[in-house]
Amino acid sequence: MPHLPIERHLLPNGLRVILSRDDRAPIVAVNLWYAVGSRHEKPGKTGFAHLFEHMMFQGSANVAKGEHFDLVQGAGGTSNASTWLDRTNYFEALPSHELELALWLESDRLGSLLPAMTQEKLDNQRDVVKNERRSSVDNQPYGTWDEKLQELLFPDGHPYHHPTIGSMADLDAASLEDVREFFAAWYAPNNAVLTVAGDFDPASALRMVEKHFGPISPNPAIPEAPPIAVEPIIGAEVRQEVPDRVPLPRIYAAYRMPTFGSAGFDALEVAVDLLGAGRASRLYRALVREQQVAQDVTTFAFPVIGGAAIFTIWVTARPGVGHEALEAALWAEVDRLTAGGPTDDDLERVRNLHAAGVESSLERISERADRLSMYACLFDEPERINTEVSRYEAVDAARVRDAMAASLRPDNRVVLTYLPAESAEEAA
Amino acid sequence: MTSTLNPMRPAAGLPRPYHFPSFSRRQLANGLNVWTVPVAGASLVNVHLLVDAGAAAEDEPHGGVAALTAQLLVTGTRRLDAAAFAEATERLGIEVSSESSWDSARAAFQSLPQHLDAGLALLAEMVREPRFDAGEFERLKAERLADILQSRSEPGRLADEMFLQHAYATDTPYRRVSAGGPETVQTLARDDVIGFHGDHYRPGLAHLVIAGAFDDDAVAASVERHLASWDGIGPGHRTIAPHPGGDRRIVIVDRPGSVQSELRVGHIGIDRYDPRYFPAIVMSTVLGGMFGSRLNRRLREELGYTYGARSGFDARRSAGVFTAAAAVQTDVTAPAIGELVGLLEAARTAPFGDAELKEARDFQVGIFPLRFESTGGIAAAIEPIAIYGLADDFWQTYRDRIEAVGAAEAQAAAVELIRPTELLILAVGDASAIREDVAALGIAPVEVVPAP
Repeated sequence: MPHLPIERHLLPNGLRVILSRDDRAPIVAVNLWYAVGSRHEKPGKTGFAHLFEHMMFQGSANVAKGEHFDLVQGAGGTSNASTWLDRTNYFEALPSHELELALWLESDRLGSLLPAMTQEKLDNQRDVVKNERRSSVDNQPYGTWDEKLQELLFPDGHPYHHPTIGSMADLDAASLEDVREFFAAWYAPNNAVLTVAGDFDPASALRMVEKHFGPISPNPAIPEAPPIAVEPIIGAEVRQEVPDRVPLPRIYAAYRMPTFGSAGFDALEVAVDLLGAGRASRLYRALVREQQVAQDVTTFAFPVIGGAAIFTIWVTARPGVGHEALEAALWAEVDRLTAGGPTDDDLERVRNLHAAGVESSLERISERADRLSMYACLFDEPERINTEVSRYEAVDAARVRDAMAASLRPDNRVVLTYLPAESAEEAA
Repeated sequence: MTSTLNPMRPAAGLPRPYHFPSFSRRQLANGLNVWTVPVAGASLVNVHLLVDAGAAAEDEPHGGVAALTAQLLVTGTRRLDAAAFAEATERLGIEVSSESSWDSARAAFQSLPQHLDAGLALLAEMVREPRFDAGEFERLKAERLADILQSRSEPGRLADEMFLQHAYATDTPYRRVSAGGPETVQTLARDDVIGFHGDHYRPGLAHLVIAGAFDDDAVAASVERHLASWDGIGPGHRTIAPHPGGDRRIVIVDRPGSVQSELRVGHIGIDRYDPRYFPAIVMSTVLGGMFGSRLNRRLREELGYTYGARSGFDARRSAGVFTAAAAVQTDVTAPAIGELVGLLEAARTAPFGDAELKEARDFQVGIFPLRFESTGGIAAAIEPIAIYGLADDFWQTYRDRIEAVGAAEAQAAAVELIRPTELLILAVGDASAIREDVAALGIAPVEVVPAP
């Protein structure tokens, strides 16, 4: 594994700066993580963190609406942002000689967003985001799965109970005053991490960062985040059937699991791969190839830190296979791995897949920058990027068994079953 | 809150030159073309084996046999059954893929350099001596049929499929998706796959691309060991003749209860050999290939009708389609169609501005090193050169050819390649909610068809 060089700096205004140089190609990535996501939203304001992210592309004191993208693309780069439960990230990748452009654009909106805000821009982006919700959730088969899982996994009042995309009603209610308040509360250099990865001279990059971000004032009173404490186990199985406009039944099973960054999460990440990574995985082999009850299987662990993370499995039924039979087959395989644990061959397989996967992800500087920001923002430890493989390889069979026994229990699972609806009305 | 923000866009530094990695190609005695692309500093190696066994190599009664053959390759070899083959590859950290498009079939993997020889051995074994187990054949055929059901339940994929079905005025294979429709996939037998494989999976028209970290001599020895004794030359592919589009028309694919309409507006486009290829790229980038493109700026950033609007050409050996696309909320379907059609018409008549043209060229030129930052991206970049027989210096000259597209060339591309009288305007949406408004646009006859 390559050992990525990491330089850490702290600006007087609290901005954490991570530099990781790699001059193989003349390209550079800039990535900012703000420690604010949908779990910091207030009741009745679901979806606001994400709507706000859109407003960050609507111009600032020295940048016109849409100009952020125009300047970055005109420089031969790409730019985007995303919002999730714990954080919001903003990023650019561009030819290395345009590094300062990205830093300037990011600093201008952090330093001077509000003077450029208008009701017209808010109304426009509200419409865009509502269409984003329609495209990804409301008009998609199985599209409501993650918001339903979150709702059933976390109690009312927990900040993961509601989805990042938010509800239409809450999006409708968002006001310019909300934009001002949210910006003032969360968008401050002392609530952010800035990473530069790729081809640059560290000393001059740091000077550019100081020049553009240095004048921005910190917020000495970043609000307390809403409480995240939640029982590690739900206590009883939760089930829901969803009639939807889908051709095949699909089961989503989800469990509370230890939070991202913990040893328990690491162990269950290995379990995720044992069950679902590749055609030799336990679930593919048993459900798809041998018993032929499933059309596909997917397993995933949400890397989040708000009290519990989320272990997810989904399996789609083959035509003609009832969802009860599919569900029984699924539990049998999960239980088999929980009881017996992985063999040495199983572990060798997933470790090698994982190591190759990390290597592949880190080929791209934008992915390096994003992970460095992530580890710095969530754990104040960007160096974790260099221990991804060793942490994974440190998980042995006993840890997998113990972690599965602790979390993958019937009284800790949500079972969400999508069934083909009889009519469009029923699927509504 | 601050006093000393810098009002001016900072000047760019001095650009550091970038060159697409140089590569070499040679041909084995059996006809296999071997392309090697060493990438300095790479920590992975990618192997792509391209065979002239895409959908263009099948015949219509067997539509889908190319895709099914490709998918079946990963289910084992004469020596290793499906489970054993998956174990053998994944224990090396390798996930082998095998898939097909219209113009090629591709078997590929990525690995750490130390597993290159073992990976290549397994790839060669899978392509040369596939098992085609009867049970696995039935399983994958059923999976393909179910995948068709799934894809038709997704409005975006349904719109793409239905656009192809309605874009061509006369019967052509291009009316369908390359992986085949249910009517022909249903009839495929295991012997069809065995026959297709035996005919087409031959080294004579094949290309092996190796890009990333490897030792030249070791690779040469590996290729020799695993592929030199492969033999034969396949029959190649059919020529799919160009087909005309129709007159301007509106087709609503009824999907009751939809809260959005998936729009596709366009017609027959260009083939991969078209001399207007570069002007077409620049023109389409201005129109719908950037965030600030005309389509996205208008439909998203001004009107809020959609999460995103875009346009592009699908250039194959013969002419694929040109489409402008957006998913819009149901109640603005008619005005959104009006906007899309208006912007396509305006591309022919309203002169391209210097600023938008410059941004499009600068984007395509500047993005060049980012496109090739991964070794997989570099291996993929060799594919069009190999498959379409493009010049070896295609990527070396790419940026100059983009830069050479001026306003006159872009305008000519728009005038020649966008034909408003031939537009197929297709909407996957709730016909009961949109039909009347769409008809009232008065821009074309409206036909409502059921979703398949």
